[in-house]
Amino acid sequence: MTLTSESINVGDQMPVYTSVPITRSHLVRYAGASGDFNPLHHDETFVRMIGMQSVIAHGMLIMGIAGEAIVSWTPHKYLRKFHSRFLGMTQPVDWNDAENTKKRATIVVTGKIVKKYEENGEKRIRCNIVAKDLTGSRKLDGYFIAALP
Amino acid sequence: MADKSKIGMEFPPFTMVVEKIKIAEFAAAVGLKNSSEEIDSIYYDEEAARKAGYKGIPVPPTFMTSCFFWTDGLMGIVKALGFDLEKLLHSEEEYEYLGQMYAGDVITRKMKVVDMYERGQKDRPGRFAEVTVLETELINQRGELVTKVRSTMIER
Repeated sequence: MTLTSESINVGDQMPVYTSVPITRSHLVRYAGASGDFNPLHHDETFVRMIGMQSVIAHGMLIMGIAGEAIVSWTPHKYLRKFHSRFLGMTQPVDWNDAENTKKRATIVVTGKIVKKYEENGEKRIRCNIVAKDLTGSRKLDGYFIAALP
Repeated sequence: MADKSKIGMEFPPFTMVVEKIKIAEFAAAVGLKNSSEEIDSIYYDEEAARKAGYKGIPVPPTFMTSCFFWTDGLMGIVKALGFDLEKLLHSEEEYEYLGQMYAGDVITRKMKVVDMYERGQKDRPGRFAEVTVLETELINQRGELVTKVRSTMIER
């Protein structure tokens, strides 16, 4: 279905997007793809040295997942702005305890249209978004603005 | 601790080609895919991208973050601004899309420190943070500003 300004109203929800559980391999893949080699995201010895339990996902990986959620609904040629505020850290799955750690590593992105308006001669929407894990812990919130046909 | 004398500092401009293969790699990474074959074909197939209404192979919406790590990467920025890596966290990120970025574009990054300030009170640990705001302009080979980036980093 083509997304149009006509078909969208304030209060409408963006389709819920649920990721697969994030693994350490995903973190390494993202590090290589983005160039972010902060050891916090892959080096367990560095992480323990600074008093943390586990490596954590890049905040920008979570924003990237939120971006995937958005463009699977609103093609990014329509995007005008995308803002995120990082709220919580995400630990990946521990394979030796997968059952108990899968939920903390699975990201769910939801969104709600809060504004419909005209700007720069375009029909724009503002959609507030939230990313949480399956335990309900918030990872980021923010919004995007899109110009729809 | 961030060095406040760096407010207004501009990093030397840096120019780089947006490589097609990096776009597919990035799309696979944010899609948590194990292979580039599992991603949307607009990220590797020009024909598919054109059918979807793009003039070339587009980039995922957060791809511009990789421009932050150009040149000497995170450590270069950490050193230039006097950050303490052990305390450093990314607090906010914003992209303003003024145009499209495509595979093969030659992008010049102009990055600047626009603000540094303290948030909260020093005697309340956990609430206090030193904030640094960076603004980056990404300009294509035709001189068009395609994306404006605003990144907020904090040290706690």
